[in-house]
Amino acid sequence: MPILFTINNKTFLATNTTVLTTSEYNPNQDTIEFYNKGIIVINETPEYSLNDIPYSLLTLFECEELKVKKELTFIDKLKLNILSVINSSKKVYVFLNTLTYLDDPFKETLFKYLKDNNKIIINYTTNIEETLYFDYIIVIHDNKIIMEGPKKALLKEEKILKKLGFNLPFIVELSIGLKYYGLIDKIYYDNESLVNKLWN
Amino acid sequence: MRILEDVTKSRIYGLMGNINITTNNENYRIINGYKFKNTVEEYLNNPKSSVALKMVSLNDDYLPKKVSDLSPAEIKKVNFAHALIENKEYLIFDYFEKELTTKEKEDFKRLFTRLTKDYHKTILIFTNDLTFIWDISSAIFYVDNSKVINTFSSKDSNILNYVDNPSISKFITLLKKRNISIEDYKSPQDLLKAIYRLKENPN
Repeated sequence: MPILFTINNKTFLATNTTVLTTSEYNPNQDTIEFYNKGIIVINETPEYSLNDIPYSLLTLFECEELKVKKELTFIDKLKLNILSVINSSKKVYVFLNTLTYLDDPFKETLFKYLKDNNKIIINYTTNIEETLYFDYIIVIHDNKIIMEGPKKALLKEEKILKKLGFNLPFIVELSIGLKYYGLIDKIYYDNESLVNKLWN
Repeated sequence: MRILEDVTKSRIYGLMGNINITTNNENYRIINGYKFKNTVEEYLNNPKSSVALKMVSLNDDYLPKKVSDLSPAEIKKVNFAHALIENKEYLIFDYFEKELTTKEKEDFKRLFTRLTKDYHKTILIFTNDLTFIWDISSAIFYVDNSKVINTFSSKDSNILNYVDNPSISKFITLLKKRNISIEDYKSPQDLLKAIYRLKENPN
């Protein structure tokens, strides 16, 4: 059964989505509602129980030391929060400006794990680079949905994004420049593809 | 661990790694997402509140608001305004940039530079985003297990061996793996020009 959610009275089909917001937006006040299934929310007040985290999971995410570390940092607690809920029966994981704190290796393992277990990620962020993670983007400013749609379509709206205070993601900005110089003929969204095109 | 005690004053320093930021030093002020009580006006409690709010890109409309009315970014900005009023010599920003847009990050970087040059503040920016600090820092400290493991100048690309690489650095690394000779650019525009030159003159 498809999962639907609403933001500000607009309904969306729950797929991996980036919700790109400007800084005055408070996602905790969001009217996001999920129908049919529950959600897991990861925010900036991480809670966890080490007993809920199997050691195999700590190993997979290379976090074994956290089990015995005396003074945990905010990042440590955030990781433990995620690991303590990652095997939940809930289908949708909502990250409220928290993926931005995580290192690349942890995020890569996290995305793969959630994907392999058929979970859906809704990522709230102000970091434009994070729009490259998933294929759907919703842009919110001043508590209103400004635009929404597939990543490739939305990242063409450079003027609107700049007006909201965002640059384009690095790879998109570089692609536009290279296209202008006639070195490539389309926009690329990952490094490997662009480098392969430039230097076969 | 003490980082700021031996540094040259009135400069910006970066701090990267996995630690908790705390201080007992009265001359230091940490700017983070502290959830103050009462309204913004009561928290700032100073005739210069309006000036301080303006410096951090807020305005008097925020004075009657409470923490529950503010976004995470706005809470940090109000704490920054409070720090400006306190007028401590050393300012430590704890993941300050996390909820800011690209433009706001650039605006605050200019403000940090102004605070060091015009107001002689010494600033330490704790972040995991190298691009937020690499063009404004005199040095970047990398810490692990509560110790400074290494200190890098802003031009030293060896720091890329310790921290998550920015998008531009990942791209450049990929080019180098393909034996394409290219410098460690920080600006997409400079990289673009370099690629154009390489393609136009492959020899």
